Amino acid sequence: MTRITIGPFNRVEGDLEVRLDVESGRVMRAEVTAPLYRGFEQILEGRPPLDALALAPRICGICSVSQSVAAAAALREAMAIEAAPNGLLATNIAHAAENAADHLTHFYIFFMPDFAREAYASHGWHAATRERFAATRGSAARDALPARARLLETMGIIAGKWPHSLAFQPGGTTRAIDLGERVRLLSITTAFRSFLERIVFADSLENVLTIASADELDRWRDGRGGDFAHFLRLADSLALSALGRGTGLMMSYGAYHGSDGELFPRGLFGPRAATEPLPLTQITEDVSHAWMRESSVDPAHSSTVPDPDKPAAYSWCKAPRLSGQSIEVGAIARQTVAGQALIADLVSVSGTNVRNRVIARLIETARIALAMEQWTRALRLSEPFCHNSRDIPNGSYVGLVEAARGSLGHWMAVRDGRIERYQIIAPTTWNFSPRDSFDVGGPLEQALVGTDVGDAGARAVAIQHIVRSFDPCMVCTAH
Amino acid sequence: MGTATETFYSVIRRQGITRRSFHKFCSLTATSLGLGPLAAGRIANALETKPRVPVIWMHGLECTCCSESFIRSAHPLVKDAVLSMISLDYDDTIMAAAGHQAEAILDETRAKHKGQYILAVEGNPPLNEGGMFCIDGGKPFVEKLKLMAEDAMAIIAWGACASWGCVQAAKPNPTQATPIDKVITNKPIIKVPGCPPIAEVMTGVVTFITTFGKLPELDRQGRPKMFYSQRIHDKCYRRPHFDAGQFVEEWDDEAARKGYCLYKMGCKGPTTYNACSTVRWNGGVSFPIQSGHGCIGCSEDGFWDKGSFYDRLTTIKQFGIEKNADQIGMAAAGAVGAAVAAHAAVTAVKRLASKREDVDHNS
Repeated sequence: MTRITIGPFNRVEGDLEVRLDVESGRVMRAEVTAPLYRGFEQILEGRPPLDALALAPRICGICSVSQSVAAAAALREAMAIEAAPNGLLATNIAHAAENAADHLTHFYIFFMPDFAREAYASHGWHAATRERFAATRGSAARDALPARARLLETMGIIAGKWPHSLAFQPGGTTRAIDLGERVRLLSITTAFRSFLERIVFADSLENVLTIASADELDRWRDGRGGDFAHFLRLADSLALSALGRGTGLMMSYGAYHGSDGELFPRGLFGPRAATEPLPLTQITEDVSHAWMRESSVDPAHSSTVPDPDKPAAYSWCKAPRLSGQSIEVGAIARQTVAGQALIADLVSVSGTNVRNRVIARLIETARIALAMEQWTRALRLSEPFCHNSRDIPNGSYVGLVEAARGSLGHWMAVRDGRIERYQIIAPTTWNFSPRDSFDVGGPLEQALVGTDVGDAGARAVAIQHIVRSFDPCMVCTAH
Repeated sequence: MGTATETFYSVIRRQGITRRSFHKFCSLTATSLGLGPLAAGRIANALETKPRVPVIWMHGLECTCCSESFIRSAHPLVKDAVLSMISLDYDDTIMAAAGHQAEAILDETRAKHKGQYILAVEGNPPLNEGGMFCIDGGKPFVEKLKLMAEDAMAIIAWGACASWGCVQAAKPNPTQATPIDKVITNKPIIKVPGCPPIAEVMTGVVTFITTFGKLPELDRQGRPKMFYSQRIHDKCYRRPHFDAGQFVEEWDDEAARKGYCLYKMGCKGPTTYNACSTVRWNGGVSFPIQSGHGCIGCSEDGFWDKGSFYDRLTTIKQFGIEKNADQIGMAAAGAVGAAVAAHAAVTAVKRLASKREDVDHNS
């Protein structure tokens, strides 16, 4: 048995280290370390509750709208108000822009460049892949970065500035959109659709979303241009559907709230391979392997106090569990729970794995691009964008949203106009969690076990694919 | 990685950028740096002939918002600035290498460009527990920072974290997050504060340094004067409403729809030095005040511990040209409030005075 350490990782958001025990070229055990901690939960304690709206987004420069929206949702529950329908729509548009931008960044900047590595030089697709996706040199970044920047002008119109926007409030958004701005929003969403249809899919979004099964996907792919089909061919050639298998347990808090429910519903994709109601009260956090002092396991009652000398600990990340189980979150979980036909079929055939996680992100991107157009048209410009309240009574509140990378929850306790406790469980806290007190690893730790690294050891590209397939956001993870 | 003799121009030409785009980039950069039209030629000449200045970009304790802002800079050539000009010889987030290969590149760059490279630092080092709150490659980030700073020509402190500490240094500062000028004391440091800084400010600073091989003129706090010499308030498009005493009282109220001043909603524009109200954000589209929310002063030292971001200055009476100057109330609600109230009163008095003069002239 040899122990290898991989890290620091590049092309992931934040710092990450992975340790693997390898025997006969196969991973027997994995430990995932989040080596960065700042203490946002400690910093938030004692401050006025509304200040969470300015502080929480600063947890992450990539998912900052998600953090804002989660804090606003917790405060909305505290104020016991309904958000203005326009405010929900405007929030959804901005949040969708951030999430779609994240999915694009993941595909073009973080994930695909690994296939341009020399390790794959013998494959027929390598030359084209290197020309298109090589890190910092490939032609794809020159298509994707401007498209992404243009999409994020949405933030300028709705949120003033991004990252770290301030427009998202418990009762809606701070500013009404006027007619001219709606036209600009529509032109942004149209440009984004055009980028997806020309560059990513080489097909109309409506057509892409009619693909309902693994077989149909294979037929659709054959002979098609575009970066998605390119990925599908390469994924088959490398059997990426057999790499980084998850346990199959997934959840979603429900994404993009509207006056009549969510675009992607809340639920648990459970052990019976079907969607069930999500037992929110069963969410706990275990600190047996985190450099954290013991506290309540209930996020509504726990506090965060570092304990850097703790034996047996190896990460700043706590281990969240649902009914004692480690759970995978992200686009694949959202789309499976939502019953998206293609993703549900792929998961029923091969479970969660490197290929399916990537497919789920791109299919979701197509879905939210269409939703953005509808939300923009649905704005009623003369009606309010924000309902106001300043009343925040004592109590415990929770804000649950879906960030690009999965389920994000803020648990906030208020006493006498001040934050008494604040707990955050971010998507990568779930996916990259350390072991719990039963020695059960988090989703990535489990997905790495059994991976064949051959003689390559720490240089094995397979490890890079598996780690990046989760699109980790390490700064959110331990915050 | 490029070689030391490569110029910016040769790199971008190899990437298929036209000469016309290049010149456009030079004139826009000259304008944004406030250097006047003649400087465009000097910039072009420097970028064509001088060896590219290597930039090493490091991440400490941070949230990556500075990188995020930077890669979305509006100028079409800026992506190439990211991808080639400064080349990010070592950048944790977007470069191709991984693990110890990346560490080796860092050592190599340091040795090869000793005394010539710019060290761009995003985030800051936490000093508690021997630096254990930010471990990078098995070592505390503070050690890597000191090592790389030793052979750097100068250091760019990106954002509020590297410049001042930012929200991670907010009370009780659990990790003792520390601005880099408290750790590196023997190198020139240029502070580019903001959470994050504006993309065009970041690319402007990088272009200036790589073009002229020196830091731009700095103010006493170490910030580039060209971007940080005016308050948000000085150039705010809502300023006339401030002077007129017309204020938003609640998000999206009638006053908000009319674009009134956000001072009463906690806006810190009057005490914040930054270019948001002129350069604006996300491709010049908007900035926080334009989205209907006050400025929180994120480029100012200590903005995170100066009371609530939403403190309403309710004790200030209405003032403006509709009222007699004698009726203008001044009340202190914290240091900011006092300063702003005094400033507002002075503005209003001036307006009144000039109005009276007009009246006198006309009568």
